[in-house]
Amino acid sequence: MSGKVVLENISKWYGEGATFVKAVDQVSLHVQKGEFVAIIGPSGSGKSTLLSIMGALLSPSEGRFLLDNQDVTKFTKNEMAQVRLEKIGFIFQSSNLVSFLSVRDQLLLVSKLAGKKEKEAKQKSDQLLERVGLFHRRNHYPEQLSGGEKQRVAIARAWMNDPELILADEPTASLDSKRGRDIVEMIAKEVKSRGKSAIMVTHDERVLDLCDRVLMIKDGQLSERVATHI
Amino acid sequence: MFLALREIKYSKLRFLLISIIMVLITWLVFLISGLANGLSSENASSFQNIKATHFIVQPNADKKLNRSRISEEKWVEIQKLSSPGEVTPFGQKMLSIVKQGTDHKVDIAVFATDANGFLAPDVIEGKKLRNDAQHEVVVDQSLSEKGIDIGDWIQDPDTDQKWQVVGFTKGQMYSHSPVVFMNLHDWKSIAIKQTAETTTYYNAISVKMDSLNIHTLQSQVKDIDIITKADALQNIPGYKEEQSTLNMMMVFLFVIASFVQAVFFYVITLQKTSMYGVLKAIGASTAKLTRSLVVQMLFIIVLVILCSIGLSYGAQALISSSVPFQLEVGTIALFSGLFFIVSIIGSLLSLYQILKIDAVEAIGRVE
Ligand SMILES: Nc1ncnc2c1ncn2[C@@H]1O[C@H](COP(=O)(O)OP(=O)(O)OP(=O)(O)O)[C@@H](O)[C@H]1O
Ligand SMILES: [Mg+2]
Repeated sequence: MSGKVVLENISKWYGEGATFVKAVDQVSLHVQKGEFVAIIGPSGSGKSTLLSIMGALLSPSEGRFLLDNQDVTKFTKNEMAQVRLEKIGFIFQSSNLVSFLSVRDQLLLVSKLAGKKEKEAKQKSDQLLERVGLFHRRNHYPEQLSGGEKQRVAIARAWMNDPELILADEPTASLDSKRGRDIVEMIAKEVKSRGKSAIMVTHDERVLDLCDRVLMIKDGQLSERVATHI
Repeated sequence: MFLALREIKYSKLRFLLISIIMVLITWLVFLISGLANGLSSENASSFQNIKATHFIVQPNADKKLNRSRISEEKWVEIQKLSSPGEVTPFGQKMLSIVKQGTDHKVDIAVFATDANGFLAPDVIEGKKLRNDAQHEVVVDQSLSEKGIDIGDWIQDPDTDQKWQVVGFTKGQMYSHSPVVFMNLHDWKSIAIKQTAETTTYYNAISVKMDSLNIHTLQSQVKDIDIITKADALQNIPGYKEEQSTLNMMMVFLFVIASFVQAVFFYVITLQKTSMYGVLKAIGASTAKLTRSLVVQMLFIIVLVILCSIGLSYGAQALISSSVPFQLEVGTIALFSGLFFIVSIIGSLLSLYQILKIDAVEAIGRVE
């Protein structure tokens, strides 16, 4: 058993009787260091559910989920929050920044929550903002940023605590194709240069060439797909 | 702290408006409490400061001193059963008097007592009350605002009885009127002349005793009722009504202020539901989010209380001395403490909202 992220026969179902839904069905998956995986599939196929399980947001009904050789399925709610804080970086569909924090404070908040030293956090946040090209906007508030800029702040925020795993749920959905591609390129570059893992749910076929592997999910069942298009 | 203060800074106007509303309400509470205080001491400072512990009154007088009559014989009987210094007779009567030579009437409260007894007033200016002098009175200094000074004669225009003011005392008001102290000798002439009574009476016998002795006394003397100092205070005409009206206003304002604050925070918490979801998803514990909310509420409430206290003292300095207004540190501390506690309780409503939010909602799911 190897890899950063290991899913073993994970299932998740909702409801009972007539309302019973099997959102994720016996999914097994290994993601290595430095690997960027995309998950595609029709609406309602279980993508978000699967991502929530890998993000330690949701406990599976069945199966094991290992992150860095730790069995997250055995964790309490608080321990799961701690795992999210330290090991996982989230990029949501709409950037989901905190409206009353400046760009820089968005990043500082994360290190604050983790109880890190302020001085180092400031250096780190400046570096990250530099890297996503938003240093000159560090004192702006989310309402003053464009959609793409917001998403870049969200990426910088996801990197702030140096997570092992980056999870992105349709990060390009609210962007035009050029900007969307920039964002995905940014994630891919970071994964390669720093040896992290990333998993991205997307509807956007045009960015799949930037990923190492593309997985298809249908009715909760996962299958490998060779990235062949154009 | 990080989130709490930055949000206040960002949404300045919103927090400023709610703070202004709360400052106004709290300020009003403090003003009314000052007024209640001022009125109560204007109404009854003589009884708040009185050195008696109990009063012996007539059983069917409804605990009201002005309705009670204790005969001379009863007084003699009570005196025999107690040691000297424990009991002293007390006569009380409302009168309208004029300064001799003028015809402007002033309401006063006559207190008659043994000049050597424990009810005798402390004199701040002039001479003390004496038992062997005739037609001498010691009056509350507020009468000087009506132009009555030491050496002046005051007169009851109905009966033409006259007394000379020989001294001033302070903090002696009864039923919104200044108290005029006289000895029991002068009282006898007033009591008979002014009422249908044909024999001397007192309104009450004031007592300075512990409750054990007083119970013995009560069992030994027939046909008496014993009330505490607090009872007597509450039964001063108009006192209870005045205070309970003001207290009711304060309670209502209190409830309004707490509701306004609780609802405000509840609504802004509801607005931030999705943000809390995101924060929980990126690893913020519920405890941290809760702390942030509580810090915010306390920050506002402390600021509001400080502003209101400042404004109240400012008002006290500006209000003219003819308005009975008197802030009391104890009362202000009590209300501030209550505001503090009530706003913490009010925050529970919002805390519950935060607890309910599930981090998983941050990820776009089909619900
Ligand atoms: N809390 C829930 N209770 C009941 N059923 C749920 C719940 N969450 C998701 N489901 C069901 O599970 C299935 C998978 O949902 P999921 O949100 O993972 O789909 P998705 O692939 O992300 O779809 P989309 O592309 O539209 O976002 C759906 O049939 C959905 O109705
Ligand atoms: Mg989805």
